[in-house]
Amino acid sequence: MFYLFVSPWVLGFVLLTALPLGYALLVSFTNFNGVSSRWRWVGTRNYTELVRDTDAISSLMRTLAFTAISVPLMVAGGLGLAVLLNRRLKAVGLFRTIFFLPSVVPVVAMAIMWKLIFNRDGGILNAILEKISIGPIAWLVDPNAFYALIILTLWGLGGGMVIMLAALQGVPVELEEAAVVDGANRWHVFRHVTVPMISPIIFFQIVTGIIASFQIVIQPLLLAETNQVGAVAQVPQSTHLYMVQVYQEFFANNRYGYGSAMLWVFFLVILTITLLVQRSSRLWVHYQVDSEAER
Amino acid sequence: MLDRHISRRRFLAGSALAAGGAVAVPLLGACNASSSGDGEGVTLTVMYKNNELTKEHIADFEAKNPGIKINFVEYDDTRLNAMLASNDPPDLVRGPAVGSASGNAQGLAAPLDAYLEKSSVLKKDNLMAVNESFRWDGKRSGQGPYYGIVKDWSQDATLWYNRALFEQAKIPPLSTTEPVSYDELLEIAKRLTKKSGGKSQVYGLGVEWAWGLSSPIHMMILQQGGQVYNADLTETDMTTPEARRAIKWYVDFAQAGVGPTSLDPAPDGADLSLFLAKRMAITQDGYWYGGNFVKEPDEIKNSVAMAPAPVMGDKRISPTYVGWGAYIPAKARHKDEAWKLMEYFMAGPPSEERAKSGWGMPGLKSQMSMLPQELPYQKQAFQTAQAELQYAEPLPDSPYVTGGSWIDVLNKHITRAIKKEVTVDDACKAITDEVNKLLKQGKDQIG
Repeated sequence: MFYLFVSPWVLGFVLLTALPLGYALLVSFTNFNGVSSRWRWVGTRNYTELVRDTDAISSLMRTLAFTAISVPLMVAGGLGLAVLLNRRLKAVGLFRTIFFLPSVVPVVAMAIMWKLIFNRDGGILNAILEKISIGPIAWLVDPNAFYALIILTLWGLGGGMVIMLAALQGVPVELEEAAVVDGANRWHVFRHVTVPMISPIIFFQIVTGIIASFQIVIQPLLLAETNQVGAVAQVPQSTHLYMVQVYQEFFANNRYGYGSAMLWVFFLVILTITLLVQRSSRLWVHYQVDSEAER
Repeated sequence: MLDRHISRRRFLAGSALAAGGAVAVPLLGACNASSSGDGEGVTLTVMYKNNELTKEHIADFEAKNPGIKINFVEYDDTRLNAMLASNDPPDLVRGPAVGSASGNAQGLAAPLDAYLEKSSVLKKDNLMAVNESFRWDGKRSGQGPYYGIVKDWSQDATLWYNRALFEQAKIPPLSTTEPVSYDELLEIAKRLTKKSGGKSQVYGLGVEWAWGLSSPIHMMILQQGGQVYNADLTETDMTTPEARRAIKWYVDFAQAGVGPTSLDPAPDGADLSLFLAKRMAITQDGYWYGGNFVKEPDEIKNSVAMAPAPVMGDKRISPTYVGWGAYIPAKARHKDEAWKLMEYFMAGPPSEERAKSGWGMPGLKSQMSMLPQELPYQKQAFQTAQAELQYAEPLPDSPYVTGGSWIDVLNKHITRAIKKEVTVDDACKAITDEVNKLLKQGKDQIG
């Protein structure tokens, strides 16, 4: 009976994850171009080429930098908003809705909206900055496109806020009150009681944030001035992230074999970083254990 | 209890069977979707753009061909690749004439000569020269059998300009008969450009940068008497004086700040909105661009004019960059019925509608006279386009590299040169190395 219950997931995993992964692994050892039947095995050539591919390595470094900046901002921003909205304020529900709303806007609509906001000549952001004698700033080209992409990403931190809010509301009030009785100020309570209590949620946010941040591809493409033929060509260098490079190899250069090798290497990079974060969690993530139940 | 009877091995075996079944069902379904039922006629799978092959066209075709139904699929490169790779291609697909070499070399399209010889509406001697780019003899395009038919096309390097903006800048308008040189064009663009507070109020010239620089650069090289590829299309050299001059022109253009570039992109990635807003004086677009102005106010219609393609060098060439049309995949199941649709779409009512609308020149000689000439600008554009025909020349098309790759490589290195991260010479060398690497990979793939 157990196997019947898990079979939907197993089928989904096999068909939608394991099979594509295995297929991509096979393709990564070929020179397949996506359409031609004239492909052949090339051994590890795609992988050895990747090691020497300066564009791919640069894009990987850029992705790491983007992740290192955006994930802490996302987590801290989500937590900050959650703390602000975890109070007994008038119309707090309205505020929570307002802050959460951007995260339910489809990414395409969001990117197009920000593209208009960031527009150098007609964008509202430059119009506001102009009032205080700043600009105009070309947000969508190098090097500013990198910051524009981070702002765009942060726009969706309402999703993280909701999860943090749920975590904050699960912190036992008596623990915080006990700390206050012991003489802790608000910061000490937050630092030494609240944060440790919600650290599993922070850990979850960091892991999922890292994975999502590594996989970003739509946003840089949409922020760029793209068209069908030269979609990748117009992506500024500063937002030419690893997945954009993969997209280029697949759909501009028709190098499915090489693109698959890039994806497999990326999979291993993400796996390694996730495992490192997992390992680090022993040092800072605190799980509430019911010792009675454990016995 | 059921769980007693399902061992782990049986479960895994069952899962594998179910997985196999789940994979097989859509494939079988796909087969059914495009195969003919006994006595029920044929269902053609057609991949096109719905604003080009419209619902009305499909309904009209189906009414005129009762045995044929159309399963329309919106054009999508990724989906097309998947369909071709799974040996379940559409029966008729949208495709470019210039750029067809790669697919033809890989045997993706079916030869159409046998159909052309039998056809009463699509005849070889009625095809405009642009259709030659769909020909492939096994080694190069331009000769051998036809593998596609052009729907409509334009000589894409021609210029459209707004006379009112020229008058405001006190600059004589461009000649509608004699081409301007690229160097002169850049100087004119500088004079037409208006900037204020770091913003561009009026751009002097748009070159549709976001649509790619490969075709215009190839044209510039040919205009100077240079070559884009070696004899067997397996290598390029962008360090030649001709290529360097072409690339340098784009670097100078961008550094002059007279038009949208990769470092100063147009808000929506195309020149049209700027041109219609009278914020761009000249835009480099083909005859088809005139279709945009028909419903515009008189102040636009009465101000626009079309000029010949500019020249860089002694040889006047005015090519098409793409020439969109259609082909029948080699593994299409219903080639005969697909050809009927090809005849209807390329020579029937839809083609006549297109020709009369002015959204591009027809692929058939017999339809050239249908191009609109009611409005003054339409008449002028018609005359300029007619005069440009004698300078039409196909751009080189190597089967070993895609247009998308060319565009990406050129844009990357030209942008670096504009930012002065590298010299123009270094950019030319890097472009050469990178494209040659792709050409080598393509050659390795295709053989």
